[in-house]
Amino acid sequence: MSVRHALLALLSEGPKYGLQLRQEFEESTGEVWPLNVGQVYTTLQRLERDELIESDDGEAEAGPQKAFRITGAGREELESWLSTPPDMTSPPRDELVIKVLAALRVPGVSVHDVIQAHRRYLVELMQQWTRLKEDEADFDLTFALVGDAELFRLDSVVRWLDAADGRLKRAELEAPGLKTGPIFRRRLVAPR
Amino acid sequence: MTTLPPALAGDRPGDGGVPARRAVVRWAWRLFRREWRQQLLILALITVAVGGTIVGSAVAASTAPPRNAGFGTAEDAATFTGASASRGRVAGEVARLARRFGRVEVIEDETMSVPGSIESFQLRAEDPHGPYIGPMLSLVAGRYPSGAGGVAVTRGVASAFHLRIGDSWRVGGRVRRVVGIVENPQSLLDEFALVLPGQVTAPTQVTLLFDAPGLEPSSIGPTVATPASVARSNPLDPETISLAALVIGMLLVALVSVGGFTVLAQRRLRAIGMLESIGATDRHVRLVVRANGIVVGLAGAVAGFAIGLLAWLAYRPTLEQSAHHVIGLLELPWDVVAAAMVLAVAAAYFAASRPARAVSRVPVVTALSGRPAPPRQVHRSALPGIAFLVAAFLLLGYAGGTNHGNGGGGVPELVFGIVLLVPGLILLAPFFLALTAKLARRAPIAARLALRDLARYRARSGSALAAISVGVLVAVIVALAAASRYGNVLDYAGPNLSSSQLVLYADSPSPPGGIVVSPHGRHPRVEGKTRAAKARATRVAAGDLLAEEAKSAGEIASALGARAITLETTDVNLASAGSGRSWSGPIYVATPRLLRAFGIKSSDVNPKADFMSSRPGLSGVSGLYLLYGNAANKFGPAGGRSVSSDCSPATGCVAHPVIQEMTALPGGTSAPNTVITENAVRELHLQSQVSTAGWLVQGTQPFTAAQIESAQLTASTSHLAVESKNDEPSSYAVITWATLFGIVLALGVLAMSVGLVRSETASDLRTLTATGASSFTRRMLTAVTAGALGCLGALLGTVGGYIALIGWLRDNSLNDGIGALGHVPVADLLLIVFGMPAFAAAVGWLLAGREPPAVAHQPIE
Amino acid sequence: MSFLELRMVSKSYGAGAAEVEAIRDVDLSVERGSLVAVMGPSGSGKSTLLTIAGSLEDPTRGEVVIGGRSLSVMSRNDKARLRRRTVGYVFQDFNLLAGLTAGENVALPLELDGVPARRARSAGVSALEQLGIAERAERYPDELSGGERQRVAIARAVVGERSLLLADEPSGALDSTNSEAVMRMILAACRRGVAAVVVTHDAQLASWADRVVFIRDGRIVDQTVPPPAPESLLEDVTGPSQQR
Repeated sequence: MSVRHALLALLSEGPKYGLQLRQEFEESTGEVWPLNVGQVYTTLQRLERDELIESDDGEAEAGPQKAFRITGAGREELESWLSTPPDMTSPPRDELVIKVLAALRVPGVSVHDVIQAHRRYLVELMQQWTRLKEDEADFDLTFALVGDAELFRLDSVVRWLDAADGRLKRAELEAPGLKTGPIFRRRLVAPR
Repeated sequence: MTTLPPALAGDRPGDGGVPARRAVVRWAWRLFRREWRQQLLILALITVAVGGTIVGSAVAASTAPPRNAGFGTAEDAATFTGASASRGRVAGEVARLARRFGRVEVIEDETMSVPGSIESFQLRAEDPHGPYIGPMLSLVAGRYPSGAGGVAVTRGVASAFHLRIGDSWRVGGRVRRVVGIVENPQSLLDEFALVLPGQVTAPTQVTLLFDAPGLEPSSIGPTVATPASVARSNPLDPETISLAALVIGMLLVALVSVGGFTVLAQRRLRAIGMLESIGATDRHVRLVVRANGIVVGLAGAVAGFAIGLLAWLAYRPTLEQSAHHVIGLLELPWDVVAAAMVLAVAAAYFAASRPARAVSRVPVVTALSGRPAPPRQVHRSALPGIAFLVAAFLLLGYAGGTNHGNGGGGVPELVFGIVLLVPGLILLAPFFLALTAKLARRAPIAARLALRDLARYRARSGSALAAISVGVLVAVIVALAAASRYGNVLDYAGPNLSSSQLVLYADSPSPPGGIVVSPHGRHPRVEGKTRAAKARATRVAAGDLLAEEAKSAGEIASALGARAITLETTDVNLASAGSGRSWSGPIYVATPRLLRAFGIKSSDVNPKADFMSSRPGLSGVSGLYLLYGNAANKFGPAGGRSVSSDCSPATGCVAHPVIQEMTALPGGTSAPNTVITENAVRELHLQSQVSTAGWLVQGTQPFTAAQIESAQLTASTSHLAVESKNDEPSSYAVITWATLFGIVLALGVLAMSVGLVRSETASDLRTLTATGASSFTRRMLTAVTAGALGCLGALLGTVGGYIALIGWLRDNSLNDGIGALGHVPVADLLLIVFGMPAFAAAVGWLLAGREPPAVAHQPIE
Repeated sequence: MSFLELRMVSKSYGAGAAEVEAIRDVDLSVERGSLVAVMGPSGSGKSTLLTIAGSLEDPTRGEVVIGGRSLSVMSRNDKARLRRRTVGYVFQDFNLLAGLTAGENVALPLELDGVPARRARSAGVSALEQLGIAERAERYPDELSGGERQRVAIARAVVGERSLLLADEPSGALDSTNSEAVMRMILAACRRGVAAVVVTHDAQLASWADRVVFIRDGRIVDQTVPPPAPESLLEDVTGPSQQR
């Protein structure tokens, strides 16, 4: 999540003060990502330096009474950011994946038990998210969206665990004494 | 938890009681309403069976004259004919009966002839308001005669004499005024002229109607009869026959329906599993399937009743004409109708019972999965089916054997044998389906798929095939039975003459009293044969008369632009050994003139032939013998011919006469279709017996009614009697219609079966279409399904039909039974075995081109 | 006191060499008012567990107790009555009887139990009301959307005094919005005192449960611990791993 671009998005609605920006940011993310004031002002200063936003008073220090507005360059930057997909070509260095892969090589450790431990943890996490949804989602759309995002993300990990579980089971049946080789041979290239 | 009214929480019966059953039946009814099309096969079967029974039993019960025909409302009738009908004797009898039983009603009949025709009518003296006469007399127009000078006539008499109300007509010795048109509702053939009692001077027959309740008719007098005693002489009551046929028919329906209901129950398996999962007991599940059976039975019974009633109403006027008595609008055998409807429901119920039990035993989880365990291999072996067919053959043979073709005895075996045929076919059906699929392993994909589907889903395709086979079986039995009945050359049936022919019989109709008429109210049409015999008996004295008649015949012929061919008879007849069948029809002498008239040269005639005949197959019939002379006039064996031991010693007899088939001879039953050669006449010394019987008037154009009428007019002045074409159907037409009926029946069953089987595999078809199958593939699938089912059904049905008939006729003497079977209706059988499947395949091909509706849409269950 | 209890339940199909054990020594108990999810991949025996719990199948070994009564001593008819009065099923995709309207479908268990049609109907309609589709009561199943059909199925599963709701992949063919609605309804039924078991392979569905039981190869291998209070979650997600 880029705070930089989130602030640009808020400023695209019109000129805003720093404090107001912080408050709106927290509201817009369903109060899931608290933001401290310092982070806001640092980010605003960098944006101003890059001439993506401008303030009423260029000389003054950033402060509660200073209003910011988005510049043409800022608008361009925002638009290109919105439509540029995040780089997903290279696998993230996912800790979970690494742990499962490692479990394959550690003698005396059942990879299925490792997987189940992670699965249970993830499902418990999802239960908590769901519980929140059950209580609040009817009232807060943004929260529901964020909750869904987390649930789907966690769900995808659970699914990966399920798939890995199944794949490992099949592999064990077919060739006991599984060999693992180098995993990431190729780097994908993002489509242009 | 839903909040409930307190009443719901109370204690309830363990099986849900009436509300539960009502709910289950409601569901079954809704399912039927939604899916009745899928049960069309069973529905149609039941509908046809009920409708057919209603029409058939109504026709059977109404074709015979009413039970009280000839009796009116009286319980007893005494009949006096000939000499015993004389005034004095009848008066004594009337007095005697009146003393014992009170009222006696007298009907006096004097037979009168219609001049110039072979028709006759009765001059009838009776009281139109007599106590018993009611049902035997009704007024069509005008009024009844009220005085000695009045007469009321039937339509037939009126048209024969061109009478209208108000006309004067000389009849019974005086001129009378026609005051009304009447009819005998119990016998429309009864042509009469009604006059008041006492007006008939020389009655041919006198009938006394009276009531003698509780008395045996024979104890009253020798000629006394009651409706019951008349009925007793007719052992098989049409209602009994239709009831028996109905029971057999419904048994078939039930057998065939079992397959249908099994398919249905399997298709609803998931829904039934669902029902069980929400707490339906096994009884409820059985009730669903059985209720469906009852609903189908009821719907079929009601539809059958409606269709049967409509068909009956449409057919009734025709039947009245052919049955020759008035038939009430709703004069149906209501007990048979009721039995048909009850049996239809019962048959459907029992047909559904077996699948009901089976489906209630399926474990809930299996049912819910909707994938029933692959159906048990339905008897792949052909042995049980063959065993049934053999048993049917033997039983039928036994029934035929005890029967000797004469009726009575063996009926249970006959019924049981026919009933056994059906399970035989049903059991053989899956075997043949499996065989076909095996044979089709190298066929193109569409054909292979269609045939494999048929073999895989044998539970339904087997019942469909069995249904088609039974349909074909009926068709084949009808065609073969019609062929063996109407194909019997001895029992030649057909039109009497062609429309461009007339026969003028020599010698005017015999004097009054000469024709035996009995019982009262029903008299046979005067046959040309009788006429010919009469002419033979009286011809010698009338040399002058004959010359005059010959002149008139020539005049009539030339007036019609036709030729008159002299017909001569002699004392010869044909008979058949063994079966007891006798020859019907006249045998004329093959005079050179007659042969010339039909273009037969004397060189065409086999010098050894005794007979020439146009009847096909007559020359191949063995066991015939020629009778000549009669008991009073014995001739010895002549011409050095051997005398068969079959021959009765009372008459002269030649065994195995040589018969030459001569298609140039005319075919009518009253025409010279079979003639004795002059050679045979000479050898048997029959020259002195040859006499002129009449003249065949052979025209080139069909004669009009006016021409025939004027011929009759001319004939009436010169003692000639005219016979013209009647409307007897030819045997060929009868066989053809029977075959057509059978084919239509089988095709209907086939269409429904193919529809059922293909609708079952509709999802396959959708998948096929989705994978890019062309309309060719779809057409091929349906066409192959229809064609294969039709072909197998035709084969099985034909084989079954032959087995039945060969078994039945096995003992009925070779020449008659198998001989009749030897007369195979080849064209008809070809039509059934090849034409029907080809037609089915063609129709399947044409109709299956349409893309299945909504490829992606799966109908919700 | 748990309402549904499975004690050392095993179920095997086939015999001899072909014998397959679908579930083995399963212990499970579900209290009134709680929703338990059984999660496992397909073929893990979770559906078998559900059908045994609902008396549709008998276990090979072990005992099933519903509402304090053991199923092993019940006759077929007793079990049918149990399904009419106590156990309600929701299946994946095939739930309603074609030919009966939504209202009639819901009223059917009551009618099968001997409740006169009129009263059963009104109870059915009020069950539909609770799920917000009372206006669909007169529609036939094929006139309803997938989500509506599943709602009717839930209404039918809870109508009357049903206190055990068993659902097998209840949102099988539904989109996520409808799946969520279905689970909300099941949860709502639980909050009214029904004991419910949902069998699924879908973690999102399972996450609605108070307790998730993991089943693999016919054995229960693990289960979640009761979730902490929702407040602690916010701290979790705001941790460094969430900030990308």
